[in-house]
Amino acid sequence: MYKNLCCILWVLLSAFFVGPLNAQNTLSFDKYHNPGEVQQILKQLQQSNPSQTRLHTLATSPGGEPVTILEIGKNSGDGPAIFVGANFEGNVPLATEGALRLAKMLLDSAHYMARQKWYILALPNPDAAKGYFSGAKYERSVNDFALNNDMDEATNEDGFEDLNGDGLISQMRVKDMTGSYLVSKNDPRIMVRADARKNERGEYKIYTEGNDNDNDGEYNEDGVGGINIGISFPHLFPKSKKEAGLWPGQSPETYAVMKFIYDRPNIAMIHTLGSSNFCLYPPKGGRKGDANLESIKVPARIATQFGIDPNQTFTMNEIVELMKSRVPAGVEVTPALVTSYLGLGAAVNPLDDDLKFYTKFSEDYKKYLKSKNFSIETLEAAADKDGSFELWAYYHLGVPSFSMNLFSAPKIKEEKKGDKSISLDEVEKMSGDEFVALGEEKIAAFLKTNNAPAQFSAKGISEMMKSGRVTPKQMVEMMKKSAKPENGEGLSDGEKSLLAYSDKAWDGKGFVNWQKFNHPTLGEVEIGGFAPYLETTPKAEKIDSLLLVQLPWLLQLSKKLPDISIADQKITDLGAGVYRIELYIENKAYLPYPISIGERNKQPAPLVLVIDGDVEILEGLKRTPVGTIGGNQVKKLEWLVKTDKKPTISVKLESAVFGSVVKQIKIGG
Amino acid sequence: MKRTILIFQLILVVVTGFAAGKGKIEVPLRFDRYYNYEEVTEALNALHKAYPEITRLEVLGKSEEGRDIYALTINNPKTGAELSKPGVYVDGNIHGNEVQAGEVCLYYANMLLTKYGENEKVTKVVDKNVHYIIPVVNVDGRYHFFADAHTPSSSRSIRVPNDDDNDGLFDEDAPDDLDGDGSITQMRIKDPFGQYKADPEDSRVLVRVKPGEQGEYTLLGSEGIDNDNDGKLNEDAEGYLDPNRNWGYDWKPKYVQSGAGNFPLSGVGLKAINEYISGRPNIIIGFAFHNSGGMWLRVPSEKSVTIDPTDVAAYDVIGKEAVKITPGYVYMPSYDLYATYGDFDSHLYYLHGAFSFVGELFKREQETYRENVAKPATTTETTSSSMRGANPELSREQLKFNDNVVQGEQYKEWKSYKHAVYGDVEIGGWVKMSSRLPHPFMLPELVHRNASVVFLAAENTPEISMEVFDKKEIGKNLYQVRVRLQNKKGLPSMTANAVKTKIHQQDMLKVSGGKVIAGGKLTDNRLNKVDFKDKKPEIQFLAVPGYGVVEYQFLIEGKGEVTFNYESLKAKNASASVKL
Repeated sequence: MYKNLCCILWVLLSAFFVGPLNAQNTLSFDKYHNPGEVQQILKQLQQSNPSQTRLHTLATSPGGEPVTILEIGKNSGDGPAIFVGANFEGNVPLATEGALRLAKMLLDSAHYMARQKWYILALPNPDAAKGYFSGAKYERSVNDFALNNDMDEATNEDGFEDLNGDGLISQMRVKDMTGSYLVSKNDPRIMVRADARKNERGEYKIYTEGNDNDNDGEYNEDGVGGINIGISFPHLFPKSKKEAGLWPGQSPETYAVMKFIYDRPNIAMIHTLGSSNFCLYPPKGGRKGDANLESIKVPARIATQFGIDPNQTFTMNEIVELMKSRVPAGVEVTPALVTSYLGLGAAVNPLDDDLKFYTKFSEDYKKYLKSKNFSIETLEAAADKDGSFELWAYYHLGVPSFSMNLFSAPKIKEEKKGDKSISLDEVEKMSGDEFVALGEEKIAAFLKTNNAPAQFSAKGISEMMKSGRVTPKQMVEMMKKSAKPENGEGLSDGEKSLLAYSDKAWDGKGFVNWQKFNHPTLGEVEIGGFAPYLETTPKAEKIDSLLLVQLPWLLQLSKKLPDISIADQKITDLGAGVYRIELYIENKAYLPYPISIGERNKQPAPLVLVIDGDVEILEGLKRTPVGTIGGNQVKKLEWLVKTDKKPTISVKLESAVFGSVVKQIKIGG
Repeated sequence: MKRTILIFQLILVVVTGFAAGKGKIEVPLRFDRYYNYEEVTEALNALHKAYPEITRLEVLGKSEEGRDIYALTINNPKTGAELSKPGVYVDGNIHGNEVQAGEVCLYYANMLLTKYGENEKVTKVVDKNVHYIIPVVNVDGRYHFFADAHTPSSSRSIRVPNDDDNDGLFDEDAPDDLDGDGSITQMRIKDPFGQYKADPEDSRVLVRVKPGEQGEYTLLGSEGIDNDNDGKLNEDAEGYLDPNRNWGYDWKPKYVQSGAGNFPLSGVGLKAINEYISGRPNIIIGFAFHNSGGMWLRVPSEKSVTIDPTDVAAYDVIGKEAVKITPGYVYMPSYDLYATYGDFDSHLYYLHGAFSFVGELFKREQETYRENVAKPATTTETTSSSMRGANPELSREQLKFNDNVVQGEQYKEWKSYKHAVYGDVEIGGWVKMSSRLPHPFMLPELVHRNASVVFLAAENTPEISMEVFDKKEIGKNLYQVRVRLQNKKGLPSMTANAVKTKIHQQDMLKVSGGKVIAGGKLTDNRLNKVDFKDKKPEIQFLAVPGYGVVEYQFLIEGKGEVTFNYESLKAKNASASVKL
């Protein structure tokens, strides 16, 4: 009987292990997996590695789909964790594949779990992700949350229709005297805005493909759903956008993700797979409304109360000191309190010190990609969006936040007439003198081909460079910021590149050629335009190679996480039982703890040095906050203690992020 | 066994004895006393039991510590279903220490219920509206405020631990009730170099010494010890997570808005209340009661935004009367007090489309001790402890009030105490049930006057009527029909902001029974100006202003009866019909 039971158990066990193991081995990345398959894969990954993984179910989407996180390295101890979130907008299926691929990479080698654990969120917006696998594709980014977009008498009553039955929602153009579009003279596929100043008049109106189902004069203004999880986080929450929801976290997916992360203070780095690429292009600044904490003006009402001049500016430290003498006993004045009391507002631009590591890593990443023969002559990744996960991770959690878009269409090279002109990238690396040395003619050509603003003249720029008022780098930044370069007949580089990419990689199928259609309300129209998902979603056979080149960089970045320890100690006997203790805290890694934004928002948990033992502390604290510790730096902490014995004391470096390390130190030995 | 019974009886005696001291909780409720959390629950149950046909008592969610959060609904089902009527939302005590806010809510419920059928105005308001009353939002805060030692200002937070002093420990150094009197008062120490001395007229009052003058005392702050041995006293008490900085509209993280949680609605109780409100889109006005200062605050809470002038006008209908009902109170936008992000009143107004008021109950200046109360004793107000000693006259008057009007119940006389760190100190000062809370003898007037403001608002919720005021045959089977919607009350059927930002479904006027050839808003019925709607003229979108009229004209083809239906989320629906 006993034997029998064992036997049955053995069979059951092997079935349990062998089945899923096979699944993991056969897990391949030659197709895009729909939300149901993604859950299946995550379950299989979990079941084939039960000792290292755990599958958390966070929430159920309004459409009834689970939102899950795969924890990898669950037994990695109290160390830090890295969170990887993918495809928040639901319309970048490649990002979800990337998350699954990364999970597999991590599980294939114990190496990456040695120091930290990982949380993989492959599909935070499953409702929207269904869009790629549905009959009529339209880059759906909203979930099934019932939202009456036009606030009329019905909800979700006017979505798209695939009128021409090609499985894609593209555009409709219809001849209309009051329209504002023209067919581009450069490429008849492309529609451009008519420019009255160039003596042009519009000939077409453009609609998205579909009917006016609710007969209100608007086309497809209230389709299925919902909230776009990718813009529903609290940093720069785009409250004027309906699809962001009414407030950050209104939809359960967003709320649950925020809660999950705040419940785990050990999450020390965050990666986002989606549409922006902080790995290649450091996060952009230039937003208005950032407080300058080195030059603060105190509002008149408060200035009078403090007896200071409202026109004078102060540094944060000065204001902290000013306030200390004016608050009741027991109230601690912190920069955060000052920021809030004076209404200085939130940080909206990446802090200078943080941009240093972003820039350094992006240079390293470019070299890495070059070594893999991976071209970055591609269209630039989309800008980070207000309310996005990656911005929230940086500004609110105060941790390094990296992102990758995993695919961009190749950028077509400008064919230059006559002599070769210099590119923006080349100029960016030049010194002012080198740039001036090009001579006015070449500079003028450079300005012209790169669509510099009209006020940039070769002569003026040369003079500014000579006097050092502007560097080539600053100039290039200004040029990049100014209007999108329009080329010839209003055809942008992006459109040109996408058309070329469609022709080359998709046999032209990336663009639906305009075809006549008899529309029930608009009459004769033509249906056509770029195919949805063209920009973000390459052919399935490309998936694995794209992921295998780029994802390992995220593993490289994990090595930059702060690595903090007690490096050394020094005990000095001052006589009469009094000792000075010096402890040296070392950060062996590249990144500081916390990074600059974390120092400002005080969100990362503090590092604390705790002394325990049979000593009386004369100077210093039993629990000493270590404060910020830079990358590759050592910080010294000191105490003065008194003891009549020769005790061994314990010193503990305590951290909710990195776990704790304890060292025994003999005093007076 | 016998012993157990004995102990049980003993406990029973103690418990009932305690309750009996304050009087049994029965309807009508008494308001010369404060109710602790359990007693509020008991009072709500008593109200519900006394008026089961028109009340519903439900637990809408639980707090961080697992206490029930109650909502009492007052609705007469005979006059319509809850969601069909304008909703009046009233809550209190979101800050755990601001307890009389709960009493105002209880009083309002008690007043509506006990006077229903007796007072004509009350009967009308109960029949016309549905009331949602949540006397205690921060149930943990209220529980602890009564159960534990506190200052008049502590136990304000919701119970989400926070590392206030950034030392890796959470809530580890709260004040301590060293003298065991149930209040956290102040500590002072004799110090010839101190910045304070006793006021010669009343030695309990401390005044600042003039430059060069010999001092007598140093103030040590709230009663307590340095529990975590970090050289600071009482720097990391419960929380602090301010439940009124943690709502969704314009939420900011805590380094920008101190007291904010980690993310919007991160407290379980707040999340539950938000879901409760989301499920009641008929709420058109909301009151959230706080203490103190004597204020009626409206949105916006931040200066960079402005609100639509017609919404300000609607607010004024209530606000300008409120200050007369509660003499001494002021009515203003809340940013005039200070800017806040993530506050409840903005959330209610901007995201749920309801006019929202904050009632800051009680002005301490009302505790007078002088012959002529019409004349203020002093010109400056002192409520902030940072101004301590700046206004000795006021302090003297408050102490006299304590001595001779409330028999010393609000002030703890200074007594010496041996402190673990400081040695010989004195402990004393204003007790927990003082300063921000009126003495119970003043409570009945406070709750009645403030509840009367809510009542006025309820009276002013929209009351829309509709009539067909003109019908003309203008062709074969073609009629021109004019319809008028009138609002007899001061609040509009929708906030102008909700119309503009499309946060909820707009009011509609639907025509059925005939073919509507054209239709639109009649902007001038004498000059026949009509703003015809391009598509679907049989459905018109609108809002009816407070004390306002809107008119529509339709060209209808057909015969027989044509019906006009007005549908609104917040106002009661109306209809009219005409025979063609």
